[in-house]
Amino acid sequence: MIHIFDGAMGTMLQAGGLKPGACPELMNIEHPDVVKSIHKAYVEAGATIVETNTFGASRLKLDHYGLADRTRELNTAAVKLAKEAVLDRAKVAGSMGPTGRFIEPLGDLDFETAYATFREQAEALAEGGADYLIIETCIDIQEMRAALLAAKDATDLPVICQLSYSEDGRTVTGTDPQSAAVTLDAMGADIIGVNCSLGPEQLVPIVQKLHDSCTKPISVQPNAGMPILENGTTVFPMHPDDFGYWAPKLVEAGASYIGGCCGTTPAHIRAMAEAVRGMDEPAPNDGPRMLALTSRSRTVCIDKSLPTRLIGERINPTGRKKLAAEIKSGSLLSVKKEAVNQVKAGANLLDVNMGVGGIDQTAAMKQAVTEIAQLTDAPLVIDTGDAASLEAGLRAYPGRALINSVTAEDYRIETYLPLAKKYGAAILCLPITEDGVPKTAEARLRAVRTIIEKAKEQGLRDGDFLLDALVMTVSADVNACNEVLKTLQGYRREFGYPATMGLSNISFGLPARPLINSTFFAMCLAAGLDAPIMNPYDEAMQNALAASSALLGKDPNGLAFSRHDWSGYGTHNGAVTKTVKKNDASAPQDTLGRIKQAVIEGEKDVVAELVDQAIQEKHEPNEITEKALTAAMTDIGEDFGAGRMFLPQVLLSAETMRTAFDRLKERFPAAAGPSKGTVVIATVKGDVHDLGKNITGALLANSGYQLVDLGKDVDADTIVRTAIEKQADIVGLCALMTTTMTQIDTVIAKLHEAGSHAKVIVGGAALTQEYADEAGADAYAPDGVKAVKLADALTGHAC
Amino acid sequence: MPIFHAPLHEIDAKETKRYAGLASAKHFDEGIVRAACEDALLLAKPQGIWQLYDYDCQTHVVQSDPPFPLEGEKIAKHLAHCEKVIVLSATVGDAIEQEATKRFDEGHYAEGVLLDTAASAAVEQVADGMENYLRPKAAAKGYAMRWRFSPGYGDWPLTAQPELVRIIDAAKIGVTLSSSLMLMPRKSITAIIGLYPAEENGAADRAHAHMPSGCAACPKTDCPSRKV
Repeated sequence: MIHIFDGAMGTMLQAGGLKPGACPELMNIEHPDVVKSIHKAYVEAGATIVETNTFGASRLKLDHYGLADRTRELNTAAVKLAKEAVLDRAKVAGSMGPTGRFIEPLGDLDFETAYATFREQAEALAEGGADYLIIETCIDIQEMRAALLAAKDATDLPVICQLSYSEDGRTVTGTDPQSAAVTLDAMGADIIGVNCSLGPEQLVPIVQKLHDSCTKPISVQPNAGMPILENGTTVFPMHPDDFGYWAPKLVEAGASYIGGCCGTTPAHIRAMAEAVRGMDEPAPNDGPRMLALTSRSRTVCIDKSLPTRLIGERINPTGRKKLAAEIKSGSLLSVKKEAVNQVKAGANLLDVNMGVGGIDQTAAMKQAVTEIAQLTDAPLVIDTGDAASLEAGLRAYPGRALINSVTAEDYRIETYLPLAKKYGAAILCLPITEDGVPKTAEARLRAVRTIIEKAKEQGLRDGDFLLDALVMTVSADVNACNEVLKTLQGYRREFGYPATMGLSNISFGLPARPLINSTFFAMCLAAGLDAPIMNPYDEAMQNALAASSALLGKDPNGLAFSRHDWSGYGTHNGAVTKTVKKNDASAPQDTLGRIKQAVIEGEKDVVAELVDQAIQEKHEPNEITEKALTAAMTDIGEDFGAGRMFLPQVLLSAETMRTAFDRLKERFPAAAGPSKGTVVIATVKGDVHDLGKNITGALLANSGYQLVDLGKDVDADTIVRTAIEKQADIVGLCALMTTTMTQIDTVIAKLHEAGSHAKVIVGGAALTQEYADEAGADAYAPDGVKAVKLADALTGHAC
Repeated sequence: MPIFHAPLHEIDAKETKRYAGLASAKHFDEGIVRAACEDALLLAKPQGIWQLYDYDCQTHVVQSDPPFPLEGEKIAKHLAHCEKVIVLSATVGDAIEQEATKRFDEGHYAEGVLLDTAASAAVEQVADGMENYLRPKAAAKGYAMRWRFSPGYGDWPLTAQPELVRIIDAAKIGVTLSSSLMLMPRKSITAIIGLYPAEENGAADRAHAHMPSGCAACPKTDCPSRKV
């Protein structure tokens, strides 16, 4: 028999006298008869489960009405009146809606506050006597996780979890039905479903996907079609008969529980109930449960029937002093970089290890997991030897993580397995016992058997295990490789679960380690390795994987292998050494011409070499400066002015100039020619924009000027004092905004007062030639390149 | 106090190039642009907040407490027929600009500039992400959204910032104003979005048809970032 939920509550309450802006849940106390009559109407229409009028009865929501302190009262009252209304004709599901706020880091709501809010409501609904708890209309998997954890911790009632999906098939925060189903199934949701947002037609494929992705019964409560606007209000247009038409299709797609959301009425529910009368509940998805891990927005399955999955090992400070020091200093920049780069290099999952001494590892793990989850959609592997850190990571993660690792040791069995169950994580089983690492394949299988048995006692199931073959060093134990291969074969034969391992240990102490590693890798892939833990940047390993996948039939017809760019293969590491750009016919052949060209092209890497060459060819330093460098700058200025060259290119040229100057100074410390003059430059008081000023300063400094950069937000007196002290030839002033450009007038007036002879060049987004003239500036520079030209003209260096 | 930190998964390299004035540059090393976008993504702390207010389009007053009258003809025209407004603020924090300054000091000028422009692209993306989140919510209530309008556009003066920042409650995400009315962190946005009844689409759109939008609405025709 198909279970029938009720339909909309809000519109019925309005029809029953709920005033706009009033708290709907207060009706449970003030007008219980109205609420009861709605429940009765739905039961008479055929509903077998009614939902309590408590959708917004969480403390955070009730607080909007000043009713936070009545949370318990409103929830228990709602369940009691529903029970009185339906008697034993229907079950009562306690409804819990979203808080209306996003959990960190998507929003500002703390996960624990959300958890506490849901827990309080769940306890009250259970106290009132609800038969189910239903968490519905959530658009954020993290909020759903908080609510589900709270519901499971507070009560033993069956919990229904329904997210809302948009037309693109994802929740607003990016979760797809498969990832939601896998995550919630593992966490212990009893019924998994979808409600609101869309009409029944649009929800058919989502129901299908939910059903195919988990082992739990599926529920669905569509709106009465897609909303349209009539006279300024939103209406749901679908007629009850049309709603009924879609009901059997929802059941065929896999739903065992159906009902209605926005815009549905007892007539819709009656049509639905009649349309599915006599239909059997869809068979649960009882195929073999594959190991599936999820992030907020992606599911990754690991199985012998699927392509090999890479677990990136780089987020691990063990043996990496620089990374460890950075983590210790509180920065996660390199950790985040490793996350993004490993995924780009082909990692499907990311191992996260924050094992640095002397820090709060629990906090570090929570922060790392939170931030990495915002950056990539690769599911995470929480790698820690500390149960508190593990729980912090699992709790913060908006998906289904893998625990690295559970051994056969008592501490791990006792502390890690309950956490795996509670948070719906999968476990990496590492065959280590209290006696250490077993040497033989047999003993390893025995250890893993123990872990699996204990895990199943805790409620873990097929699909929750990844087995580690445990690699030892072959130079210490001649059988290390053979035992690993036997272990892999044994795992597949006895358990059928996918296998993993870290690889590089095998070659420790041997020469030509990359060769040993990649050969070993290929052997293991053939023996049953499904998800290696490795460095995804390692090209030799990636090549071994590509070739093995083609050979083992995991890359049908070797398609991916054929498409791979093998052009660099066989050359030394495939690396291309940077050389001076091949000269085409028009390019200059003489060294000074090539220096000029290098500066124009911004080829920083080659210019120093060319300067050396010019010196060898006996060119004088000032000849190099004038004929190559200054000449280049002149061309650049022209090209920039004509719109043939753009600012970042000019800056690359300036960097190249600098490299060339530096090399000249290095070789001829005495030959540094006289400076063109001193420039004092500043962004004026009140203004914090310094990019334009920095650009101009860089160009001036690399055009032969002595630069005194006073920075940003500089008061007039400091500028004037410095100009006098340094006997500035030029003062450059920058202001970006209309609110700060009046400072320019002030500085110029004070410069005159102080008797400075410096010429003043002004610039910045808000400035114009007219403004510059009025303020008494000597010149207005619309850009940095122009500023150099103006400085040259004002100091008599124009060519 | 609705807060949504629309996450960034990628920073738009094309926009980053445009802000750097490189839109029509043919031979520029894409690798440098990409690297800047990647670094900026890791340094960005995207945050956003918005508030919804009623709006009186006859008197051009946002019905906040206290009410906020809007100065300027352009904004009045832009919000013609609007019944409500969303005011929002978005930021990517100040870590990117600090890094950009550091790169400059080290002599990596081009990287410094591109990091700065990547941050500009990023903060626009954060605001776009919030708009994309809000649009269907507005539509469900029967409203369509005008494009974002910020102080400094047209004749809406920067002196509107203090009131705008106040009614947004932008301090909640760490966005404040300097004494010279600059947003801090620098890579932050404040804006107003008008909501007009979708049904009056025809009338409202006709009234709005002559209004140029985006770059076309900006008087700075020699801007190197102007979209052509």
